[in-house]
Amino acid sequence: MAVSTFLFCDLVPAERLRWVAETLRASARTGGVPLGTTVYLTGDALYSLVDARTRDFWRMLAERDGIRIVADGDELILHGLRGFVATGSPWVTVAGSQEDAPFWQSLVSSLVSGWKGTKKAGFLLCEGPYMSRATVYMVRFLSAVQGGGLSPELYTYLDGVHTLHNGQRPSEFENIGRAIAGISASAVQAGREPWFAACSRCATARGYYQMNPGTGFCEPASAIEEIAILPLKEILSRFSGNLPIISSASGNVVPDGRREDRVPPLVVFIAHPPYCTEWTFGGLSLALAAAMGGIPTTVIFIEDGVYALHGTHEVPANDKVFNVQEMVAVTTDVPGLEYFVHGPSLDDRGIDLSPGFVTIPRLRNEDLARVLWKAENDGAASRLIFF
Amino acid sequence: MTEPMDFTELTCTNLMIKLKILLNKLPQGDAVAFFATREQVDNTCSPFSGQGYQVSWDQAADNRYLVRLGK
Repeated sequence: MAVSTFLFCDLVPAERLRWVAETLRASARTGGVPLGTTVYLTGDALYSLVDARTRDFWRMLAERDGIRIVADGDELILHGLRGFVATGSPWVTVAGSQEDAPFWQSLVSSLVSGWKGTKKAGFLLCEGPYMSRATVYMVRFLSAVQGGGLSPELYTYLDGVHTLHNGQRPSEFENIGRAIAGISASAVQAGREPWFAACSRCATARGYYQMNPGTGFCEPASAIEEIAILPLKEILSRFSGNLPIISSASGNVVPDGRREDRVPPLVVFIAHPPYCTEWTFGGLSLALAAAMGGIPTTVIFIEDGVYALHGTHEVPANDKVFNVQEMVAVTTDVPGLEYFVHGPSLDDRGIDLSPGFVTIPRLRNEDLARVLWKAENDGAASRLIFF
Repeated sequence: MTEPMDFTELTCTNLMIKLKILLNKLPQGDAVAFFATREQVDNTCSPFSGQGYQVSWDQAADNRYLVRLGK
């Protein structure tokens, strides 16, 4: 038996629910590991509970496969969905209602029940304030971590590093910079060890880490003190530890009898198209750095992420962007790093792999089940992160 | 003679990827030249010598090195 905990804060497409359902079913058919799975939904992910394109997938997962679905009661009210879910979806647990623990405390409890004995829990934040409400969820999660007697850890990456900007002064939103400072102060006061860091590459790109010509080294600029700017490999060294780490779309799978001597493997789902946002480059960079840091890492191109392997990409001479195909092609020999592509995602789009990538194994949903639960069968906990 | 590229702001991981891409396209006997930091020289550039490439560098300024990587 394993404890699997998932969190989704963004829209959950029907395509994702279809492959998740089929993968879990395939896992049960092939004698895979039985799963005690809880899925936590907040933010835009809550629309999937009422959307005709997705709600039946959740119902089947709950009723037929025994998966517990927990919705954020406060966010249901904000989104105007509380009544629909309360009356139309009896298979959903509404956290924050009178009978149940608040949503974020419930999530922390679920994670801790898997990662027994952990003293800390972390959040990988890839979205920035105030464009994304993921930063508010990060604050709520870390507050619940701190309130639950654990040390909070924050890893800001990609646009998540905007969290470290000093002087934030939103007129209509919760002040994220101030909230971070507050969590840090209360954690220190309670004798815990908060660990908040920002990726130096992302911070440099966004102007928070600037070269001092006098020393030849970079220094923080316009940054709050509570978040240290560090190389990604130093941030990822925290991922070698035995602690739950979540992001706005993520999962932790922890088997009973977890072996603490095993470094938790990482599964990175590349689910966005390759160039118009930093998701693909960011996901691949993180995966490579993790593998080179000794964390067994699996990259799965899935959903719109399969476009990264379709056609032949050429960067025009007047452009400056990493060619993700070249990036993949030269890193297939990195020890501890595996690439896969999700066949049904290619089929749904009517596209195929570029001839240069035909050697990347193509997974059906039943193969995906085998890949996802491989670590668990070895007694290792694993983390799944969607980029 | 082309100006050496400035890779000082790349992470070690991304520098490794960039160098592997450049070396893939490099004719036998040629070399690439670029600027790197001390940490990049130690962590990323030096290990290429163990893979059959010729690696050398000269200090150009504080924490700035001109690296030559030959095939």
